[in-house]
Amino acid sequence: MSNTKTMNVMQERDVRTRTIGQKIFKVLGKTGTYIFLLVMALIILFPFYWMIISSLKTLAEYRQAVPTFWPRQIMWGNYAEAFTKANLGDLFMNTLYVGLVSTVLSLVITVLSAFAFARLEFKGKETLFGALLATMMIPGELFTITNYITVNNLGWMHTFTALIVPFLVSVFYIYLLRQNFMQIPNELYLAAKVDGTSDIKYLWKVMIPLALPTLISITILKMMGAWNSYIWPKLVANDAAHQMITNGLRNAFTDTTGQANYPVQMAAVAIVSAPLFLVFLCLRKYIMQGVSRSGIKG
Amino acid sequence: MFKKIIAIVLTVVMALGMFALTGCGSKSANNAFVVPSEGFNPNETVDITFTHTMGAKLQEVLNTYIEEFNKIYPNINITHQSAGGWSDINGQINTEIAGGTQPNVAYCYPDHVAMYNIAKSVVTLDNLIASDIKIGDSEEIIGLTDAQKEDFIESYYNEGLVYGDDQMYTMPLNKSTEVLYYNKTFFDENNLTVPTTWDELWDVCEKIKAIDPDCYPLGYDAEDNWFITLCEQMETDFTSAENGGQYLFNNDENKAFVKELREMYQKGYFTTQELYGSYTSNLFVEQTDTNCYMCVGSSGGASYQMSNNDTADGSFAFEVGVASIPQYNQENRKVISQGPSLCILKGANTTDQQVLASWLFVKFLCTNIDFQAEFSMASGYMPVIKSVTENENYAAWLAKGNGKEYLVAKCVQVGIDGRDDYFVSPAFNGSSKAREQAGALLLKCLSTETTDVDKLIDDAFQEALDECEY
Amino acid sequence: MVDSKHQWKAWLYLSPAIILLLVFTVWPIFNTLRMAFLNGYGNMAAMGGATFQFGIENFLKVIEYDKFLDCLKTTAILCVATVPISTTLALLIAVALNSIKPLQKTLQTIFFLPYVTNSIAIGMVFATMFNIVGYNPVEKVADTWGIINNVIQFFGGEGISWINQGSTYTANIAVMIVYIVWNALPFKILILLGGLQSINKQYYDAAKVDGTPKARVLTRITIPLLSPMLAYVIITGFIGGFKEYSSIVGIFGEKMGPPDDAGRLNTMVGFVYDALEKDRQGLASAGALILFVIILVVTLFNNKVIKKHVHY
Repeated sequence: MSNTKTMNVMQERDVRTRTIGQKIFKVLGKTGTYIFLLVMALIILFPFYWMIISSLKTLAEYRQAVPTFWPRQIMWGNYAEAFTKANLGDLFMNTLYVGLVSTVLSLVITVLSAFAFARLEFKGKETLFGALLATMMIPGELFTITNYITVNNLGWMHTFTALIVPFLVSVFYIYLLRQNFMQIPNELYLAAKVDGTSDIKYLWKVMIPLALPTLISITILKMMGAWNSYIWPKLVANDAAHQMITNGLRNAFTDTTGQANYPVQMAAVAIVSAPLFLVFLCLRKYIMQGVSRSGIKG
Repeated sequence: MFKKIIAIVLTVVMALGMFALTGCGSKSANNAFVVPSEGFNPNETVDITFTHTMGAKLQEVLNTYIEEFNKIYPNINITHQSAGGWSDINGQINTEIAGGTQPNVAYCYPDHVAMYNIAKSVVTLDNLIASDIKIGDSEEIIGLTDAQKEDFIESYYNEGLVYGDDQMYTMPLNKSTEVLYYNKTFFDENNLTVPTTWDELWDVCEKIKAIDPDCYPLGYDAEDNWFITLCEQMETDFTSAENGGQYLFNNDENKAFVKELREMYQKGYFTTQELYGSYTSNLFVEQTDTNCYMCVGSSGGASYQMSNNDTADGSFAFEVGVASIPQYNQENRKVISQGPSLCILKGANTTDQQVLASWLFVKFLCTNIDFQAEFSMASGYMPVIKSVTENENYAAWLAKGNGKEYLVAKCVQVGIDGRDDYFVSPAFNGSSKAREQAGALLLKCLSTETTDVDKLIDDAFQEALDECEY
Repeated sequence: MVDSKHQWKAWLYLSPAIILLLVFTVWPIFNTLRMAFLNGYGNMAAMGGATFQFGIENFLKVIEYDKFLDCLKTTAILCVATVPISTTLALLIAVALNSIKPLQKTLQTIFFLPYVTNSIAIGMVFATMFNIVGYNPVEKVADTWGIINNVIQFFGGEGISWINQGSTYTANIAVMIVYIVWNALPFKILILLGGLQSINKQYYDAAKVDGTPKARVLTRITIPLLSPMLAYVIITGFIGGFKEYSSIVGIFGEKMGPPDDAGRLNTMVGFVYDALEKDRQGLASAGALILFVIILVVTLFNNKVIKKHVHY
């Protein structure tokens, strides 16, 4: 009797020391985890901090050999200058237009192709898909001249078409969405077929809602593409009516000697990045889901 | 799946091998423009395009003078756009030439023109300049009058002729050069004289080093310019545009001056933009721990050479002086010329009328006194015609008092005074490579630690030459 | 399953993509191949009326180039170094993020930020962090050591020339690794975190009951279950690594090396770009095709190795 009691007490004490030990260990582990994450976060954030303080400096201070960590004189004027000088309103509208139209068209094409690859059986499917993936391995810079000549022959110079059409198909997006579609059980499709539902209706009612996160991340990536594109628009549509935001920024802030006024340019970059940040913050959940659902089953 | 990729790749390669055999057809083109005997018809509407690298401020000036131009030629419509910076415009026009959509008129450096010329897209100007056909009912001729030719600063005008075939390819628009900025306050306090030769410069460096041991007496912004300028001043070989271009810089004379520069560098007499890690103008104006009392930089960057205006009473920390760069031999004065020229491009679809209209526009910009004056004031570049001083505003601007503008004006004045000394290096397909390699080899020879300096220099020269000739 | 009705439907759905790919991807590839097999082909020269012989001279010329092996070496080193580092780091961050509750969302957002920013600013910032201004290699003094050296000196170390004159190849590569890893992290973290969150909690509950140590949980449960994502991240990392170019321009400028040794860090894509700029499309195309074959071989190899270890 007493024996069992002592056993119990011992066990209890044992359990308690173990739990205390575990707790200390756990707290230490958690602290370590947080320190690690915070340090990494700081490293990640530093360049952004730099972008913002640079945008608030005078050109002279920016060009200094010894960089300052806080602007001596805060130049809010850089932001005002960026806004008025670059005609940001028009640039925004052009970029938004190109971004939206190419996103919508690109989504339609991607959904149809991904559906064909994921659900339909046809001769040469694997071969075709393999060939598509192989094109991803070629440096895209090589295509520029040939595509420029093509666009020119098609009479698309200085039109939005030239900015939109050549980049509508992305093998990467088709790949992403195909992975996503493949995870939706085939039974749903077969059941729908039995019910006599058409492919399009099935796509619209079942597949698209299920793949929504991926579609949203494609949208974001596509919009980001429009926001960041520089070399191609400069070649095919660098006139005032079609100018894209990055090109407009580059042109607006070069001074007489062709050197850029970097602080104002940084301010403009900050202004331009803001909408993307906001969209990302609002849709973060979907983007995370979208990207994470892809990649599985290579 | 990946086996299939290989199979596809192989098939495609084989198919293409066959396809490639067909090669490409030959197109004959000759770029010597012949002025049609009926001349230019001012009543016909002509559209021309102009690509440049001007910022917003210069575009305003340009717009004003396009209006002026249209008062004379109301039927020539000019659209212009900025391609960004100097490296952008070259790439953009290359691609446009490939697509047949090149602009009619373009900003250019000689190296760019040499590239466009491979495609035979550059209109040579000799026949246009020489043409005495009258335009419409007016008394004006298409070409340049003798007075107009005389008015050009000769060395600028001759920049159009550096392509190895004695043909005129470009017209100068506005020019910049390298000048020597010095800390006048410091020079006056220490009774130093501004050096006019390299030997004097090294003497001054030694004296400055004695006064302030931690300083770099001289900062030189562009290493490649230094190499090329020294070749030119010492009359040693660099490149030649003859026979499609030759690289001649690998010679003992050049190795000797590079070796001397290395000695001076090791003594701490100078630094360069790349070696210092930042524009040397910062070193010059900043006045922190390490000072710099002389600085060779572009005359176009004058506003960055001004000492900081942040002393308590608002006066400048020190006065900046501007002088011409040191020479090797006063009998053979040479200073590099930079800044935009204009070239006229043509493709398969370009009409004679368009070429003529482009020429008239180029002629207008290069010979109009008021445009030359205003462009110079807005950009800090030097005008290319002598008569520009007839513009009263400009004369007043050149002589203007203190302030940042003053230094810009002073630079322009130094540039104008040195107008007989300008040169540009020969341009051919590959001349840009020679320039790049000259800068790179100088940097390598100056700073690399070694026990065998001669071997280092020999190797660096040989490597640069191999790279050029690859 | 393969019936004719589906056949035409599939091709119908695929037609927009196929047509656009034919025009804007396949045709340029054909053109690239054509240029690669025309000796010394140059676009401008072709415009000017020059003709070219069919042959393999371009390929020979690429291989004969003195510095071609250097380009290849730099590319390979960057690949082999950055992919494991960024993958490990991303895995650790993702696991750490997944294990915490407070601040998880905020940190997650921060780690993804680099993905949605304009890249112009970032390269310049990194260059300033490592840039030494006014370095004198003889006296080992400088005006500004840069933040990284300041940190090293704070801990009693000696300042190192990272990207300036007198810097070693190793130091240059170290800087590039840091920058490339920084750039690659967001995407990898995102993918891995997504994977982690979709792992069934039951596995961990089971491990908890058994009292399995954390490290063991990581190697025995987390990594095997994450292996498809890891495989994806590694393969795309290698493909991206072989195409490395703009990150080097971001730090070193178009000189692709420290001031006293320009071109030291040139890569395969850098070689292709150089040739394009000099109107040597034939050479550029040949270089790009060689690069393509290398990527293909590496990807196949990766695939083989990974297939053995991935648990679907």
